Amino acid sequence: MPFEELEHTADVKMRITAPDFLSLLAESGDAMASVLYGDFAKEPETLTVEIEAEGEDSSELVVNFLSELLFLTEVEYLVPLSYSIAQEGNRVFGTVSGIEFDRTKHAGGICVKGISYSGLSLEETAEGFELTIIFDI
Amino acid sequence: MHEKIQRINETEWEIPKGFVENMRVSGRFFLSDLLAEGIEDGALTQLANVACLPGIINHSYGMPDIHWGYGFPIGGVAAFDETEGIISPGGVGFDINCGVRMITTPLTEADLTDKQGLIEELFEAVPTGVGAKSPIRLSQNDLTLMLEEGARHAVELGYGCAADVGRCEENGAMEGADISAVSKKARQRGVPQMGTLGSGNHFLELQTAEEILDAETAKTFGVKEGQLCIMIHCGSRGLGHQVCTDHLKVLEEAVKKYNIDLPDRQLACAPLDSPEGQAYFGGMAASANYAWANRQVITHIVREIFVKRFEIDYEEMPLIYDVAHNVAKWEEHEVDGVRKKVCVHRKGATRAFGPGRAEIPQEFRSAGQPVIIPGSMGTSSYLLAGTDGAMAQTFGSTCHGAGRVKSRSSAKKSLTGDAVAAELLKDGIYVRAPNPAAIAEEAPDVYKPSSEVVKTVSDAGISKIAVRLRPLGVIKG
Repeated sequence: MPFEELEHTADVKMRITAPDFLSLLAESGDAMASVLYGDFAKEPETLTVEIEAEGEDSSELVVNFLSELLFLTEVEYLVPLSYSIAQEGNRVFGTVSGIEFDRTKHAGGICVKGISYSGLSLEETAEGFELTIIFDI
Repeated sequence: MHEKIQRINETEWEIPKGFVENMRVSGRFFLSDLLAEGIEDGALTQLANVACLPGIINHSYGMPDIHWGYGFPIGGVAAFDETEGIISPGGVGFDINCGVRMITTPLTEADLTDKQGLIEELFEAVPTGVGAKSPIRLSQNDLTLMLEEGARHAVELGYGCAADVGRCEENGAMEGADISAVSKKARQRGVPQMGTLGSGNHFLELQTAEEILDAETAKTFGVKEGQLCIMIHCGSRGLGHQVCTDHLKVLEEAVKKYNIDLPDRQLACAPLDSPEGQAYFGGMAASANYAWANRQVITHIVREIFVKRFEIDYEEMPLIYDVAHNVAKWEEHEVDGVRKKVCVHRKGATRAFGPGRAEIPQEFRSAGQPVIIPGSMGTSSYLLAGTDGAMAQTFGSTCHGAGRVKSRSSAKKSLTGDAVAAELLKDGIYVRAPNPAAIAEEAPDVYKPSSEVVKTVSDAGISKIAVRLRPLGVIKG
C-alpha cells in the first residue's frame, strides 16, 4: 500500500511512499481521496480538470498541490482518480481526472479542512520519497 | 505530569518560563486530577510555544479540554498587545468561527412520538458530510453581504427573526470584515456550502434540559427543566478553510519580513498593525460572519420542520445564544489595573464574559454571558454563564467542548459505527450520519467526559454551570 494511516488524536495522519516526486503527489492525492470518500469503487473517468501548484521547496509544493486538489474536489465536485502532471522547477502542472461526486457512492469519508505543516516530513529514501502529512479535519 | 510543571491550586497549573526557549511569559492551564492523567506533552509544548510570541500579555492559557492542535493547542487562549502583538491563524484554526448555538422549543421529550422520523427528516433537509450542497441559491451579492453582515443578512433574506441577531456573540457580525481579503477561490467554495453542516465533530442535536443546576441563571436565559432544545455545531466551511490556507502563505513570508523568531512554523503570524496582519484579520472576520450566517440558515431549516411537524410558531423557538470558539477578536480587558484594547485568540475556547459587560445581551447581562459547551454524542451538553473569575484569570475565556482523547483510526479499529449507534439507541439516543465510520470516529469513548471538563471550569471559577442537557437524537456530519 503506498499510503497508510498513522495514529493522531484529532486529525488524520498519513505516511505516503512513492518512487519519484510526481508519483508521490499522485499517491498523496489518492490518500486524501480515501480520507474524503472512504472506500469507493473506481469507475471510468468522466471529468478532467487542470491543476497547477508552486512551492519554494518540495514540502511547500506538496502542501500547495493538495490544497489546490482539495479546492477542486469542493468546487468541481470531482472525485479524483488519476493524474497527468509534469514538473518544471518549483512548479507542477497538468490535469487530474475522475468522476463526479455521488452521495450514494462517495459519502464514506470526512471533510478535510486544510493541509497542515504540522508534523510534515518529506524525505528522500533509497526507494524514492517518503511523506508524512496531516490532513486537518 | 511533566516534572517541570508546577501546580498552583486544585485546578490551575503553570508552565514556567524556560520550559521551551524564549518564552516571554509563563503558561497557565486548568485541569482536574482526572483530566491531568491524560494531558499530552505535545499540547503542553504548544502552550509554551505560544508564550514565545511577541506582545503576549500575562500568560498563554490552556482550557481543560486542551489537546494537540495546529500551532496553538486546541483549548488555547492568548491575548496580544495592540502595538507589540501579533495575529496568527494558528491561534484561530482552519475552521474560522467554528461555533455552537442553542435554541429552545415549547416541546418536551414526550412530544417526540416519532423521534427517528424527525431526525431522518432533519438529516435530509440539512446537507451534511462531504459533498453537501447548499439548500439555497446564494448570489454573489448576497455572499458579499453575508461576509460583511453575517447573521443579520441571513435574517434579512428570511432565514430567521430579528431577535436572533442580538443573541449571537458580536451580534452575529464582527467589525473589520474585509471582503478584499477573501479570495475568489474562497468565495467559490462558500457559495455552494451556505447552510451545510460539514463533518467531523460538527452536529445537529436534539436535547432535553434534564437538570437545572442554577435556577436563577437558567430562568434568566429562558430555559426550563424538561424543555426540548436544539444545538447546532458548525463553522465557516470551505470558505473559512480557504481563507486560512490563503493567508498562511502570506504570513509565512511575513515572519521572514518582520524577523519574527518562531519556535514552530505553524505559528506563522504578522504584527497586528502590519498590512499582512490586518489582511488576515479582515479575511478572518469576514469568514466568521459567513459562519454566523451559516448557522442562521441551518437554524431556519430546522425551525421550519418543527413548525410543520409540531404546529408551533416559529417565534416559540428562540435562539438562546450563539458562541464562536475559533476566532481572534479585539476586546477591552483590564491589564495591571489599566483597561486596554487587546487581541484575544481563542482556539477551541469560548468567550465567557462575566456579568455587566456591555457585549452581553441586555436581558442576560446580570447573569453573565451564556456559554454553550457541547458534550460528545452520548454525553451531556451544558449551558453555563461567564464569570468575573474568567475576566480576572483568562481574558474572559473558558473551555469549548469535551476534547478528544482517542484517535479516529484507533476508534475505527476498536468500534463499529453500527455497534455504537445500537448502544446509544439503548439509552434512547437515535444517531444518523452519512456513514457508519463517522459514528465510530465520534463515539462517546473518544472524548474526555464533558461533565469533568465543565466541573473543572466551574471549580476554577471561570464559568458557572446553569443547565445540563441530555442528548435525544443526533445528526453527525
